[in-house]
Amino acid sequence: MRWLCAILMCLVAAFAVTRSCAAEAIDRADLVAKVCGDAAAMGEAGRALIRIAAEGSPEDRNWAATVVRAAIDRKLSCDATGAGSRSPLLSLKNRALFETADAAFALRGSPDPARRSSALRTLERQAASLPEQLFDAAIHDETDPGLKAQISAVAQGAALNSPDLAKRIAAVGRIAKNPDRRTLALVTPLLNDPAYAANPEFKRAVDSASAAIHRGITIGDILATVYNGLSFASILFMAAIGLAVIFGLMGVINLAQGEFIMLGGYVTWLVQESLRVIAPGLVEWYLIIAVPVVFLVTAAIGIVLEAILLRHLYRRPLMSLLATWAVSLFLINLVRVTFGTQNLQFVTPSYITGGVPVIGDFIFTWNRMFAIAFAAVTLILTWGLMRLTPLGLNIRAVTQNRTMAGCIGIAVRRVDMLAFGLGSGLAGLAGLALAPIYSVNPQMGQNFIIDSFMVVVLGGVGTIAGTIVAALGIGQINVLIEPVWGAVAAKVIVLLMIIGFLQWRPEGLFAVKGRRK
Amino acid sequence: MSSVWSDRPFLIVLAAVLATALLLVVSIALPFGLSAYLANAIGQLAAFAVLALSLDLIWGYLGILSLGHGLFFGIGGYVVAMYLLKHSYEVTGKVPDFMQFMGWTTLPFYWAGFGFFSYALLVATAVTLLISGVFGYVSFRSRVGGVYFAIITQALVYVAMLLMFRNDTGFGGNNGMTGFTIIFGWPIGQRGVVIAIAAASVVALALTMLGCRLLLQSRFGVLMIAARDDEVRLRTLGYDTLLLKLAIWCLSALIAALAGMLYVPQVGIINPRLLSPDVSLEIAVWVAIGGRGHLIGAVIGAVLVNALKFWLSAAAPDLWPFILSGLIVLVAFVFPNGLVDLAKFKLHRPLISRQLSSETPELR
Repeated sequence: MRWLCAILMCLVAAFAVTRSCAAEAIDRADLVAKVCGDAAAMGEAGRALIRIAAEGSPEDRNWAATVVRAAIDRKLSCDATGAGSRSPLLSLKNRALFETADAAFALRGSPDPARRSSALRTLERQAASLPEQLFDAAIHDETDPGLKAQISAVAQGAALNSPDLAKRIAAVGRIAKNPDRRTLALVTPLLNDPAYAANPEFKRAVDSASAAIHRGITIGDILATVYNGLSFASILFMAAIGLAVIFGLMGVINLAQGEFIMLGGYVTWLVQESLRVIAPGLVEWYLIIAVPVVFLVTAAIGIVLEAILLRHLYRRPLMSLLATWAVSLFLINLVRVTFGTQNLQFVTPSYITGGVPVIGDFIFTWNRMFAIAFAAVTLILTWGLMRLTPLGLNIRAVTQNRTMAGCIGIAVRRVDMLAFGLGSGLAGLAGLALAPIYSVNPQMGQNFIIDSFMVVVLGGVGTIAGTIVAALGIGQINVLIEPVWGAVAAKVIVLLMIIGFLQWRPEGLFAVKGRRK
Repeated sequence: MSSVWSDRPFLIVLAAVLATALLLVVSIALPFGLSAYLANAIGQLAAFAVLALSLDLIWGYLGILSLGHGLFFGIGGYVVAMYLLKHSYEVTGKVPDFMQFMGWTTLPFYWAGFGFFSYALLVATAVTLLISGVFGYVSFRSRVGGVYFAIITQALVYVAMLLMFRNDTGFGGNNGMTGFTIIFGWPIGQRGVVIAIAAASVVALALTMLGCRLLLQSRFGVLMIAARDDEVRLRTLGYDTLLLKLAIWCLSALIAALAGMLYVPQVGIINPRLLSPDVSLEIAVWVAIGGRGHLIGAVIGAVLVNALKFWLSAAAPDLWPFILSGLIVLVAFVFPNGLVDLAKFKLHRPLISRQLSSETPELR
């Protein structure tokens, strides 16, 4: 390696001569002389090198990085400067300086994110003593978003503890622009800082920043609660809408509805697995491709179930309740025997990973957004089907008065069958929406069935509007209560509220007006 | 409804139950006779039959389907488990398992007094009456019925299960309560004691059957059936159906709690799984299979289905759910009134008369 260093030194000297006229350029020869000098000179060289890391041009940085690396590894030969053949030995203090410089160069220039990340950890310890341009430049160049956030966090911490008060005030103001719990943790200690009591300007800056952060966190928490409630409500809605249509139409509570959700999840998985075999490039898009498949398969199963079983039990709703429970038992165990009890593995597509941080600790996550958007599209389609198509008209007619609808020539049995298929298909789609965010196993339907019953009971029979309002209400209340008293208390309170509510309106929120039975 | 003494099928079943009780009582004293294992199985079946009777009372004779009767069964079971645990603790000094899990040194304050059986009995009655009374009152007052009522009771038992799954409630959490050693001062595992508990369960079954039968042939029973068949008409005639339904609902809940109190000492464990909605649904399935609206139907259904379950969950555990769902579908299509419909076939006429099966209309 020695010859390499010698060549390097010659190059250095050559560069130093050719570029000494440039105003911005650093004096390489002088720097090299210092590196080869005594301990004090080497210390100066170390600080100069750190400055280069912060402000220097890319070529300078490349050059200086090599010098630093060589000095640390004791491969630097000082022959070329005429100071005698020796490798400069770094004192303990200077070694730390040079290692900092090395890390700074790595942070700016290394192509390997892991190396940059480890360099950042080294720099973090003495962040306050480093020039802030180093971090600014590093943030500017950084391509990895996670690392970028880490660097800016370190930079903020450094600026906050900088000896220059003006810088600190500026840093406090900057921090308050991104309010979350992490920045709160940065600002809170400043209230005990000596400067807080001594300097009114600093005090004002810290106070306003602290208030802004608190406000931001509160807004973020409210938004996060609403968002979580909305995503829970959209799942509830998807599970309950099919139930509500069937219940309104035939007065049958389908206890197997949860199993149609489960089947939807399994069909989604089957689509994913067959894509893996047929068209591996499309595996990412299995959630979209599975939509028609899931709907058709679960709707077909529902139609078969209606045709061979429930058709004969319409006059006996309580018996049909037990019969659908038998179906649910059968389906759970069939799936268990066929696929096993373990959770299915789903690919998480790139378009539903990650999220956008909005304010405070609220992150607008794409997987929840997917569920919400999916429910919204389902809602629009279902509403359109019920309001704008002949089938929807027939369903509504039979729901209102079965006998009369039959008298005017509507094929009541056929409507029943199709509506049951529609309800089952919608439940299957709920399973699809759940697949990427929930564990899919034979038992999964059981966890939704009671909540979706509550939605139907609360919303009133056979109204889409009632189902939406009830799903939103139950979803929000659950999410609101959960952090305060826990998930169990949320369920208990929701149930008690529903029982209380039924005292006031026994037919549900949006009951069709009519004679009380 | 005809008098008890002219109701032959009922008397045959009652006689069979009493004969079983006699057999058990005799076996306590004699070294031969029934083994402890068999007696225990019979005792459990008797407890299930009592539970089925409680549901038949409101479903078969009042037309109200509860999918949450496991809640009252669970209340009885939990209270008797608390008694057994406290009593065993006081006698043997063995610290209950769940206290060790939670790292507690003393039982929570609400366990005070559970060392006395009479107090436990009182608590079971009070809690059951309170919950069934409040819930029944608010539901029947707003005329929640049919499928709505079934769904809400199911949610009720589901919530109770979630509550009991919590470990910090002082009721054993998800592990439940087990390790009972002493009952009324006797070691619970001894053959004589096992058979005695089973005998007590069978006697309780006989008494419940007789009690229900007498209730049904009283004026009150006639009103119940009238409310089932046409509640609106009964109300129009000036009867307060709210009070009627509430009274029977609470009575049914009490019988279910009694079944729980008989069941738990025999299985030796209680945990929140007993409160799962599936268990409560299964009770309705027993009654549906045996025959709603017939006391003997509930008893026969509970005994047959559970005997089959005992046998099959050992012999072919994977098969049992399929057989159960098949049985339900069979009942739904072929025997709308359960196995009592077998009376339609002349072969079984001596056991269940045709008159009896035509007495109750096909239920909804």
